[in-house]
Amino acid sequence: MSTQLNLKEIERKAYRSTYQDGLWDIYYGLIVVGMSIFIYHPAEGYSAMNIILSLLIISLAYGLFWAGKKYITLPRMGQVHFGEIRKQKKRTLAIIMGIFVLILIVLVGLTTLGWMNPQASSDVKGALAVHNSELLVVALIGSLILGTSMIVVAYYSDFPRGYYIALMMAMAVFLMIYLNKPIYPILIGGMIILPGVVLFIRFLKMYPLPREEAVRE
Amino acid sequence: MNNPDGNVNLASLAQIDRLVHEPARLAVMALLYVIDSADFTFLMNQTGLTWGNLSAHMSKLEEAGYIEVEKSFKGRRPNTSLRLSTQGRAAFREYVRKMKQVFKDIPA
Repeated sequence: MSTQLNLKEIERKAYRSTYQDGLWDIYYGLIVVGMSIFIYHPAEGYSAMNIILSLLIISLAYGLFWAGKKYITLPRMGQVHFGEIRKQKKRTLAIIMGIFVLILIVLVGLTTLGWMNPQASSDVKGALAVHNSELLVVALIGSLILGTSMIVVAYYSDFPRGYYIALMMAMAVFLMIYLNKPIYPILIGGMIILPGVVLFIRFLKMYPLPREEAVRE
Repeated sequence: MNNPDGNVNLASLAQIDRLVHEPARLAVMALLYVIDSADFTFLMNQTGLTWGNLSAHMSKLEEAGYIEVEKSFKGRRPNTSLRLSTQGRAAFREYVRKMKQVFKDIPA
């Protein structure tokens, strides 16, 4: 193993150690749960409760993540700033995610246009000849967009568990849109959260709070 | 490191920077070389050194001008951020270069 490779390994080990607390897993798992409630279309019609509940869960996910990092992880693990290569990767990720968001905005815009103009919508459906499998196509597109964007996040963040989360997220979106039963994506959200909770407990055992003099130093 | 007659020049081993060569300091410097900066707790966790041990090594590196120490407050908590100075980076690179040369000269 060359010296260069060793240094790379040291940097990678240090970088990946910031994921040891499992907080990202818990965060993404809760996002999946919140998202599934947002997508869920009840038989009695879509209500504001869907939006309120999903926003509450997403806010909870963000709040838990922020508080966990600030009050639990950082005092135990310490703070680190990585070099220019990592910063460049973050910038690239931000640009790619920006493009994904733009694509999503275009898709949402086109869907809204379709709702407002049923004739154009049926023309498009006719052209695509997907009358019977419309939901399947939407579910596939939704899961593909979300799964791919999470894969990009995992790659640029050097976060190996992100690939598992990407697969789970894609499955959750597909099942939610296709079956319209929130229980499946909620279970999938649980399957993302559970390893996060295990990692979090292990993290608390592995990293006790440092002695006072270490903090003062 | 070799003499003109092809023998390994052992005297050149004495030129190795002993301040960097010490294993604990080498671990700290290698870590600080690949990151931008870190606080004391992070360095302790990554290197496995105790607070006292790390503190002593840090003092030596700081005296040599190899690391820069920045003390600040995060809220009400004091925070010490450590980074490798330009001189420290150069010393680490030079150490790696010399060590590679030494091992290259020693037949396996």
